[in-house]
Amino acid sequence: MRMRIALVAMLAGLLFLVGSLWRIQVRDVSKYRSKVDRQSVRRVRLPGTRGLIYDRNGLCLADNRPSYCVGIYIEELRQPGSWSNTINRVEETIAKLSGVLHLKSDVTREEIRKHINRRLPLPFPAWRDVDETTVARLEELEPRLPGVAIYYEPVRSYPMGALASHLLGYVGRSDPEQDPEEPWQYYHPEMEGKYGVEKTFNDELTGIAGGYVIHVDASGYRRKDFVNTELKPREPVSGSDIVLTIDSRIQRLAEKALEGETGAVVILDPRNGDVLAMASSPKFDPNDFSPSVSAEEWDKLNTDPGKPMVNRAIAGIYPPGSTFKPLVIITALESGVATADTTFDCPGYFQLGSAIFHCWQKAGHGTLAMRKAIEQSCNAYFCQLGLRCTYDRIQRMGDAVGFGHKTGIEMGGESAGLLPKKGRGWSGGDTCNASIGQGAVSVTPLQMAVFTASIANDGTVYRPRLMMRRGDAEGEVARKMLWAPTTMKVLKGGMHDVIEAETGTGKRAKIPGVEMAGKTGTAEFDSGSQRRKHTWMTLFAPFDQPRYVVAMVLDEGVSGGLSVAPRINELMRGVFSAESPASNVTTTVSQGDKS
Amino acid sequence: MFKDLFLLKKLSWVMAIAVLLLISIGICFIYSSSYVSEDQVGGRFLYKKQIVWAMVGIVCFAICAALDYQEWGKVAWLIYGAGIFLLVAVLIVGHRTYGAKRWLDLFGIGVQPSEIAKVATVLVLAQTLSRPAIDFENLKSIAMLLGIVALPFLLIVIEPDYGTALIFLPTLFVMMLVGGVPMRIMMSFVLIGVVAVGTVLGVLFLPEKLGASEAAQKRIMHVVGLSEYHRDRINVFIKADVDPLGAGWNKMQSEMAVGSGGVWGKGFRNGTQNILGFLPPSVAPTDFIYSVIAEEKGFFGSVVVLLLFGVVITAGTLAGLRSRDKLGRLLCVGIVTMIFCHVFINIAMTVGLMPIIGVPLPLLSYGGSFMIVTMSVLGITQSVRIRSRSTVEDFS
Repeated sequence: MRMRIALVAMLAGLLFLVGSLWRIQVRDVSKYRSKVDRQSVRRVRLPGTRGLIYDRNGLCLADNRPSYCVGIYIEELRQPGSWSNTINRVEETIAKLSGVLHLKSDVTREEIRKHINRRLPLPFPAWRDVDETTVARLEELEPRLPGVAIYYEPVRSYPMGALASHLLGYVGRSDPEQDPEEPWQYYHPEMEGKYGVEKTFNDELTGIAGGYVIHVDASGYRRKDFVNTELKPREPVSGSDIVLTIDSRIQRLAEKALEGETGAVVILDPRNGDVLAMASSPKFDPNDFSPSVSAEEWDKLNTDPGKPMVNRAIAGIYPPGSTFKPLVIITALESGVATADTTFDCPGYFQLGSAIFHCWQKAGHGTLAMRKAIEQSCNAYFCQLGLRCTYDRIQRMGDAVGFGHKTGIEMGGESAGLLPKKGRGWSGGDTCNASIGQGAVSVTPLQMAVFTASIANDGTVYRPRLMMRRGDAEGEVARKMLWAPTTMKVLKGGMHDVIEAETGTGKRAKIPGVEMAGKTGTAEFDSGSQRRKHTWMTLFAPFDQPRYVVAMVLDEGVSGGLSVAPRINELMRGVFSAESPASNVTTTVSQGDKS
Repeated sequence: MFKDLFLLKKLSWVMAIAVLLLISIGICFIYSSSYVSEDQVGGRFLYKKQIVWAMVGIVCFAICAALDYQEWGKVAWLIYGAGIFLLVAVLIVGHRTYGAKRWLDLFGIGVQPSEIAKVATVLVLAQTLSRPAIDFENLKSIAMLLGIVALPFLLIVIEPDYGTALIFLPTLFVMMLVGGVPMRIMMSFVLIGVVAVGTVLGVLFLPEKLGASEAAQKRIMHVVGLSEYHRDRINVFIKADVDPLGAGWNKMQSEMAVGSGGVWGKGFRNGTQNILGFLPPSVAPTDFIYSVIAEEKGFFGSVVVLLLFGVVITAGTLAGLRSRDKLGRLLCVGIVTMIFCHVFINIAMTVGLMPIIGVPLPLLSYGGSFMIVTMSVLGITQSVRIRSRSTVEDFS
């Protein structure tokens, strides 16, 4: 009897084990499976190659090049005993290499240790982005050092150097958020746009990451013989290429026009808002950021008083000076407070109460009508015209045409400028100041270009665009101003005379063969003993059917007519002489569309 | 003797087949588990060695089955004496592995005296309990029984080999129970056991709970002959994650291996835990062979192995039930209980239900002396069966 009880007890014991096995192997299987994977499966993530950036003519502006790295496979240097023996061995190897390759090493023990803990099966980068001489030296090395191998990673390169640097931006190593649930992911360095187009269109440019799975054993070694068939490697997919509206020849001319100066130029196609060139000076070389920027370089770029990292074309805010006057003309004519024949007297200044507003022509312009006032950029005339308009009207018109608002260009860091509303304590003097583009009003060069384009277009304002997308050659109309043709005729006539008339303030911009129209501007910004001036010029050309709109500003100059106009002259000569057959074709096409 | 060999056709073929299946499964998975260590010299020969041991074991099985088990009763004391002698010897000249002296080098063969002592004690106890003269009302008899058990038990504890010691107690307890020791005496044994376990746990953990200093805790432990080592071992068992990279490693990895097997397993030679070395190659073919099976053949494979053990245990017990005398009955019960304890403890520790105490899985784990001992004692149960009443009646 007791024996049977013993037997039953034993069989019950076995049954109990079956129950435990059921719990572990069947009920909780997924829990244990994921635990096992967590410790033995490592995912290596491979970023897709970054898409290329082209200008409108197919010239490559941003490319990828292979960057050679000297890698050390620590697994192959594994020493018996504790890991610090291995780290010693790795350090010895690096020291040896350092002698042979004539390279200095700044690898710390801590970095090696971290690499061992976190990504042992991947090569440890002893040197990144070494030159070909180093690669050759290493290849020739006899006897070969164990565990040392060259590997490469793609690195961004900009074949045109600093050309359009502010526009293109640069890339930097992205810091993928480490998923705390997946501590075993191995990342290959991935580049991410940090500035400019690289940043704005990062999603398009970035490829789809691929990856593969490696099995590691208990001590973290890669097991080549063990292939997990369930997880096949996935090839990374390259990012999309993008084509910019930029014409690199015009861009080059624009940058040349700024050479040696601090300032910005924006050139638009008024017919659709294409940004043909956008330059800011001083510039930087985005290649300095690939594969990574050194701390001193970064400091230098950021502490430079010329602020090379600022894209003045969209982020620089300047008082517009006389380039703002066309807005006053439009306001006056559209509100009916004045006509083309409205005259004001200029004795060389305009006095309002105790305040005196000087005209640049100290002798005075005498009595002049509107067209002449534009040509001469007479401050006395515009103070009186502005007062007649009232600031409210000017502000409303300016607001409607886009001042004080971002243009919506596909780029980060754009400023909105400022077009203040009439507030408490607003005086007639403030209105006078605003009418001649001084005081609180401030604009970006891009805003000025868009405004000029809307004049050239008789009121149609396109959103400036950077990326050529298939299927929309038309451009996106941001707003349509219902300006009377008579208004435009007067304004454009005045602007024509600015350049084409013998006495025009912008006559130095005049070039043979092409009729152009524009407006100069000079804005004082440092009051007191040191009177410094921002100098402007806006322009559209050819006069009859404008294809180009230019807005240029120099941070410091004598006056728009003297400092900027000669540079614009050279720029436009270059633009028209280099005009490609391609852009002529588009001209005919769009003309055909209109007819 | 030849007439005895003729009797072999009367042995339990059900048990023989189950035993052979278990041995084959063992060899297969020793091959699978050591497949990983191909680059290690000798690693891949482990299964070949096991085949040799299995053949030696089968021969021992046959011999023990053919021999009349009454002979074992006669030499029981001799073997017991030898076992005690070896246990003492191992403490003096034994090999120290993993901080314990368990192995003895006999003519180039590693022998675990505790294995022999285990069997010897079962034999002596069966012999003593089956003596007609035994009187359980006599305190002297009880004292003698206790003495027979206590001597080897204490020597094994000193080694220390807690796994074997843990098998000792239930085996001998069941034998006494079946041997007819009165209930009240059995109950008092249970009481003493509970008090002893309570004392040990109390000494190990109570001072800490009461906030005694580390030094004071150690002092108290040493008074009763325990050390931090014991406390840590039990701690690992109770708090699974207390030391995942130290003492808890094997337990955790084994549990993960078993759990990740699922219903059907990852396939022969595809156990990642084993191949990738998370289950250390030194223990995978021995104490943790069951987790290799469970990982590669899943719940299905694990249950098949348990079923086969169930068959062996049942067949062994039935042999005892049919025995014509008390000695045969007690031998069978002792042997079966011993096997069961090995199986239960080994599998329980494999799936994380028990602390890791180094108990091999009979017939499956790699190891020569254990294979021979297991096969021999199973042979004894067959010897009992062959000479049982029904068989003898058939024969006459």
